[in-house]
Amino acid sequence: MKTSSDHILTSHAGSLPRPDDLIDAWGSNDEPALAAKLASSVTDVVRRQKEIGIDVPGDGEFGKPMAQRVNYGSWWRYSWNRLGGLDPHGPSLYEMEPRRSSPGYVVLTSFGDRRDRTRFAAAYGDPESGITTGPRPPAPICVAPIHYTGHDAIQKDIANFKAALQGAGVAEGFMTAVAPGSAARIGNSYYKTEEELLYACADAMREEYKAILDAGLILQLDDPAIAENWDMINPEPTVEEYKKFSMVRVEALNHAIRGLPQDRIRFHLCWGSWHGPHITDIAMRDIVDVMLAVNAHAYSFEAGNVRHEHEWKVWQEVKLPDDKMILPGVVSHATNVVEHPELVAERILRFANLVGRERVVASTDCGLGGRVHPDIAWAKLEELAQGAALATGQLWR
Amino acid sequence: MMKTSSDHILTSHVGSLPRPDDLIAANRVREAGEAIDEHVIQEKLRGAVAQVVRRQRELGIEVPGDGEFGKSMGHRINYGAWLSYCFHRLGGLDLSGPDMRDTPPRRSRPGEVVLTGFSDRRDRARFAAAYADPESGITTGPRPATGPVCVGPLTYTGHAAIHSDIANFKAALASAGADEGFMTAIAPGSTTRIGNTFYKTQEEFLFASADAMREEYSAILDAGLILQLDDPALATDWDMINPEPTVEEYKKFATTQVEALNHAIRGLPQDRIRFHLCWGSWHGPHTTDIPMRDIVGLMLTVNAGAYSFEAGNVRHEHEWKVWQDVELPDDKVILPGVVSHATNVVEHPELVADRIVRFANLVGKERVIASTDCGLGGRVHPDIAWAKLEALVAGAALATRQLWS
Repeated sequence: MKTSSDHILTSHAGSLPRPDDLIDAWGSNDEPALAAKLASSVTDVVRRQKEIGIDVPGDGEFGKPMAQRVNYGSWWRYSWNRLGGLDPHGPSLYEMEPRRSSPGYVVLTSFGDRRDRTRFAAAYGDPESGITTGPRPPAPICVAPIHYTGHDAIQKDIANFKAALQGAGVAEGFMTAVAPGSAARIGNSYYKTEEELLYACADAMREEYKAILDAGLILQLDDPAIAENWDMINPEPTVEEYKKFSMVRVEALNHAIRGLPQDRIRFHLCWGSWHGPHITDIAMRDIVDVMLAVNAHAYSFEAGNVRHEHEWKVWQEVKLPDDKMILPGVVSHATNVVEHPELVAERILRFANLVGRERVVASTDCGLGGRVHPDIAWAKLEELAQGAALATGQLWR
Repeated sequence: MMKTSSDHILTSHVGSLPRPDDLIAANRVREAGEAIDEHVIQEKLRGAVAQVVRRQRELGIEVPGDGEFGKSMGHRINYGAWLSYCFHRLGGLDLSGPDMRDTPPRRSRPGEVVLTGFSDRRDRARFAAAYADPESGITTGPRPATGPVCVGPLTYTGHAAIHSDIANFKAALASAGADEGFMTAIAPGSTTRIGNTFYKTQEEFLFASADAMREEYSAILDAGLILQLDDPALATDWDMINPEPTVEEYKKFATTQVEALNHAIRGLPQDRIRFHLCWGSWHGPHTTDIPMRDIVGLMLTVNAGAYSFEAGNVRHEHEWKVWQDVELPDDKVILPGVVSHATNVVEHPELVADRIVRFANLVGKERVIASTDCGLGGRVHPDIAWAKLEALVAGAALATRQLWS
């Protein structure tokens, strides 16, 4: 993975705004038109990232279906089209029956029974509150052995992205893929235990991870489940119980990436990107060691919104292993206001002073695509690049 | 004399709080010009103010307000009641003119700085697609069909309204056992961004507004309350001048507004006046906000005892550093925003404490009152607004522990 000894590198968490005609193409059944649109829009989005100063660009997750401008779920729902063994017509995650946990018995409840959502039910239910997350499609149920069926899709994504990188003259780029812990949050009537389902997802998704790495790209594993499952366990478990529950997911992930080149794997943790109060987010200090147990080379996490901004202090006490890097979020989807470059620089500096300036890549909290207006998303990336330049000026003078 | 504390961080907020649904419904009927029993509204209002003061006290807000409940809001989403209320308290206005958002662009030139139409504001022009997109979250609620134009001499006609507001608030404070409370009133610079066909110059218009609004300011102060002067114009006008002027030209332009405000409050008890500056509370990108460092000197020329300003959103959070270079006069206090309307995410109390401590370390812990960026009412969901005030109080308690340990 690229490092720099003379400036702060920039990247982001993955999703970028899709052009309107790509959104339309995803909504149509015209496969050739979609394929052509995908190739050209990935080319454009990589070039644009390079132009505004993003050192490590992505493909914007354009190959992950999104047929709406507002859509918070494509980073994850794309896997439903790439896994066999699923019946696509289950209830939406909001309509599932709640499942309550008890001491010694920790299970995920339904989306509708999540704790922040329950506490702020009126706000979540108010179309004027700004918490809307777009469509709520039916969710699949696992009814047979899970296996990977996305070979063609991932090869197309890779081909589009590599051509775009080459066209823009960029040496390194990252592609996201969902981690087992986050992929396995679907209904299951086939596997006897949650753990079996997790490992089946791990074995299936490994094929996608391997394809991305074999192509010479950086693999970003998206695993918000490690943090946001906390809110999805009702009532609130103990931190110890939660860590035990989450370590099973980390072990499944480590199983999925065993033997793969760790130095090209980065891990993305987040607390969920919906515009809710997020009062029930678990504290970073409680899960940072769970995150560091993932066999990745770099860790991406939210640090640019008001629920997690103060958590840079965690790194005063936690030692980042010498060979690892972090990608803290220094601009965020959580507000329409565009971060001032001086604030971006201040945030970068706090991390750089604790873990070393060569080990910080300035990034976003979460994907910006589908979560803020496209023009605001791009303005935020511009300010990210400007803030990184300001930080470089202060850190290397 | 405004409350200060030598043993903990005080808490307040900027003014607007979420209105109860039944008060909004009653306001909506009245605003639509339909028949409604004024006594019914007044009864609701009195009860709502009593309740909102009690709730502030219960959750630990030490300097409460009346939530601006007397300033009519006919819809849950409303960013403009702090301004529109004065249209009903000033004589000399024709209320059937165009809404401010529909006024035509007026471009400035070097040496001639004028405010342009809302649609031609620079952030709005740069992000036109986002501002126009109903899914972008920038919506500021239903737009009024018409707006005021000044067509005759401005006079203050709000005596009954302000006395009713004062009576409701004082009764609420007494019953909640609060010894101090603040009430907001709009500053002249922010009242005069409306059409004017009567006064020959903007300056005449400004000073006429100053003389009229002075009656409201006096009433609030005479009642023993803290007066908060709301003057976002001082900062937001920058975005409303197209093309961007030089900072010097802007300061000259804005100085006239400060002079009009100081004229309006001449001789009034400065130690019970606080001033609120902000860059506008709509959920836009705010890339054209003027930096605090360019206008802090101007803000400090307002003859107030305390200054409230945004410092809790991503465009202005870094500006605490301004106070490394600017000296706050010894007898003054600041109320930085440490929680904000600009995000639905509720601030973590530890972040709130970090923000407070930064200011306290620069200007002194006795001179910082933890506050909000802007009013929360009408801008975020009611339950989120209250959760933010709880986070503010929890964060102030954490900061107190750090600062007085």
